[in-house]
Amino acid sequence: MKKSTGNKMKLGIFVSISITLFIVGIYFIGARQQLFSSTFQISGIFRDISGLQVGNNVRFSGINIGIIENIEQITDSTVKVDMVINEDTRKFIKKNAKAIIGSDGLMGNKIILIIPGPVGKKELNNNDTIETAQAVSMDDILIKIKVTADNAASITNDLAIIMQSISEGKGTVGKLLMDSTLAHTLEGAIINIKQGAGGFKSNMDAAGNNVLLRGFFKKKNKEKEKEKEKEAEKK
Amino acid sequence: MVVDEKIKNKIVSEEITESSENPYLKKLKDFFEEISSLTLFALRFFKEVVRPPYEFKEFVKQSYLIGYKSFPLVAITGLIMGLVLTIQSRPTLAQFGAESWLPAMVAVSIIREIGPVITALIFAGKVGSGIGAELASMKVTEQIDAMEVSGTNPFKYLVVTRILSATIMLPVLVVAADAISLYGAYIGVNLEGDVSFHLFFLQVFEKLSFADVFPAIIKTFFFGFMIALLSCYKGFNANKGTEGVGQAANSAVVLASLSIFIIDMIAVQLTNLFI
Repeated sequence: MKKSTGNKMKLGIFVSISITLFIVGIYFIGARQQLFSSTFQISGIFRDISGLQVGNNVRFSGINIGIIENIEQITDSTVKVDMVINEDTRKFIKKNAKAIIGSDGLMGNKIILIIPGPVGKKELNNNDTIETAQAVSMDDILIKIKVTADNAASITNDLAIIMQSISEGKGTVGKLLMDSTLAHTLEGAIINIKQGAGGFKSNMDAAGNNVLLRGFFKKKNKEKEKEKEKEAEKK
Repeated sequence: MVVDEKIKNKIVSEEITESSENPYLKKLKDFFEEISSLTLFALRFFKEVVRPPYEFKEFVKQSYLIGYKSFPLVAITGLIMGLVLTIQSRPTLAQFGAESWLPAMVAVSIIREIGPVITALIFAGKVGSGIGAELASMKVTEQIDAMEVSGTNPFKYLVVTRILSATIMLPVLVVAADAISLYGAYIGVNLEGDVSFHLFFLQVFEKLSFADVFPAIIKTFFFGFMIALLSCYKGFNANKGTEGVGQAANSAVVLASLSIFIIDMIAVQLTNLFI
């Protein structure tokens, strides 16, 4: 009899713990879906919802504040999305806030991002319709990438033609780089410039020792020394 | 005298017909006969379960033996299941740099599929064979007949209580196994990473929905029912003496395990259809 009561007790505790675990699990899942908190409803009209589904998150300032409750096609080009939002966040979402459809990471689920507008407006009421903006879709990005890739292909094609012309010695740059005669001429010119510069230096030295010009050079040297002294004083 | 001769001839001709029957046809016939008697057995259960008197004491005793006594085995299996699944999934997710998805992915796998199915298989192995062998030995030692003679309804006392207990206790065990598996997954995540207990469970519940939990729990009632029904059927209809006990236990486990996969397949299809 005692053993039977003990067994009953053990069974009761075991079943109670399991049921409690189940209820706690259900509570956490329900809490995420705003089942046990005070909520209000808003909706937004979109042209394209990009695969958004009922149950996806609504995010505001990076925090999950609600979920998508219903999606309904109202005309051939518009879709109405109803959202259930946590009441606590109502004071932060103003009437000029905008809803856009985003993505949770690169491979994640679609979400609705509510972007706050400039301050000063009144907060949203229950069943209000929030302004929406069409988010940049992956297709748009792919179209832009294609245009860029086409341009890059055209540029590389032109570059290939230019490089070929250069290697064949055509045009100014081609001649400059590929023509050996021009290189020899340039080398000669540089040697001449070097020699000319050496001659000019000798002339200037001679002018410095000339009686007529010595005063001018001395004056110049004095001015230089004065400037040096001034700089030294400053330091 | 002439009539006796005619009867003799008829019996001999029937025997010749039976022995010359195609073996495949005989197997098919046996199979349908088995299905028919199993259906009648199940219908008898539904008839007896609602009819008083109710064997509540035996039901509690069986729940203790079937449910509580299976918990340690289920708990150890659950813990290892969560741990191993996490360790095995990590390299694949790491290739995509998606290790942060590990808790959510493992949780969905455990709650939706692995928890219920593995627990049910363990349950079929332990409880199914136990019920099959117990009832079969009672049958071959004529204890069941003795019960009937003494005025106790053996079907109600032995079969109804066991089927009811298994149907109710398996979902309870699955919930416990899921919770322990998730703890095992938490240990697995922290073997190579550093995720707090709070963050782990936030990530787990972030990706779980009612559509993951309820169908998984509902199907375990059917698992429990089928395991006990098949085991009781095999045990209750055992014959061939002690050899029959082994056969009953064996076929109870095999059929119960097979039924788990069939029910699971149907449950998945129905879930996808409605949710």
